[in-house]
Amino acid sequence: MKKSKKVTAIFFLVISLFCAFISGKSYSAMHAAEPIVPGSGVSEVKMLSDYFPGLKGTNGDTEIYVFEGEKPGGKALILGGTHPNEPSGYMSAILLIENASVKAGTLYVIPRANNSGFTHNDPQEGAPQKFFIDTPHGKRWFRFGSRATNPIDQWPDPDVYIHASSGQRLSGSETRNLNRGFPGRPDGTLTEKVCYGITQLIKKEGIDLTVDLHEASPEYPVINAVVAHERAMPIASKTVINLQLRGIEIGLEPSPTNLRGLTHRELGDHTDTIAVLMETANPSQGRLRGKTDENLVLTGKDKFYVKAAKLGRLFVPFDENGHPLEERVGRHLTAINELTKAYSEEYVSKPIVIENIPEYDEITTLGIGHFLNPVE
Amino acid sequence: MTLIYRILVLLVLIFTIWNLFDEDDIKKQANNALVIIPLLLRVLMIK
Repeated sequence: MKKSKKVTAIFFLVISLFCAFISGKSYSAMHAAEPIVPGSGVSEVKMLSDYFPGLKGTNGDTEIYVFEGEKPGGKALILGGTHPNEPSGYMSAILLIENASVKAGTLYVIPRANNSGFTHNDPQEGAPQKFFIDTPHGKRWFRFGSRATNPIDQWPDPDVYIHASSGQRLSGSETRNLNRGFPGRPDGTLTEKVCYGITQLIKKEGIDLTVDLHEASPEYPVINAVVAHERAMPIASKTVINLQLRGIEIGLEPSPTNLRGLTHRELGDHTDTIAVLMETANPSQGRLRGKTDENLVLTGKDKFYVKAAKLGRLFVPFDENGHPLEERVGRHLTAINELTKAYSEEYVSKPIVIENIPEYDEITTLGIGHFLNPVE
Repeated sequence: MTLIYRILVLLVLIFTIWNLFDEDDIKKQANNALVIIPLLLRVLMIK
């Protein structure tokens, strides 16, 4: 071997090791979860593996924050982070954990439903690994993850994903989509096991109302909407009317009977819970977006979406003001408030009364940071 | 299955490093160096 050849080989190898170290460190950092500071309303923190031990020790296990009410009543479950690239869902769940208190009934909140999905980004999307929110006590950081389970935890993807209980056939990558795996299987993939764990939680605790918080691309037709299972329709329709009376434009969509694996369909069919899913407008996950960074996640401003709106290509209004995270979180939290009120009016013997939920006007005026607790 | 996958990737990584030292063309050596990065991350299951 020539000496010069050996020298350059060692040089390149050292550069490779250095790059692998830097990128490995960056990837590994994604496995750290953002701090959540529970408010005084949280009475207990459980794990999903308490309901399905098959998840213990896996990246699918996740925290469940329990709010035991002062009086007995109904039970509600809020799912945030089913898709970890839809930040208004898990930010709404976190604001509930840090602020809410329950007067009647019991509230369960899972902020990171697909915990594994928070540990990586979607490849080739250029998405940020985290974003920061200013609070009166300093900056707080939050994870921006992937729509799907980390392939480190579940691989390989099949060519075709067959939904276990219906036989529905979808693209292979959907096998890692939590919102295509319900009701789940105890002996399935990690994603199906997480779905099974959530289904078991609903069955064992007798959850009456389940709300799954999502976001959608502005070019996707089901957006700024409540998607409701048949049994949820009376409550969901009352909620939509009340939100519209408050000036929040929102639609009501019936859960399609032939689209399987989703929370609003399967949890409604396989458990006694009243299942709804809610969508806000998130340009940072859309296909028409420009630069994808923390600013886009927070402000929801994108000039390409403004242009698309002018061309009539979107399903939500979109101007230079964009759709900031405050607006999207405010919509979700106000809708949760209205949903529980509607539930309590419909099921008088099992009320769910939640207080101190930050309202739309408060969040859009004061900002999300105003409602976040200091990290010790 | 994961173990078999990692063994296969490790083999490819070893051959790539071997080729890096065996290669005369500096441009091809640089190519080898680039390929080593994802292989190393995959062997260590870092994602």
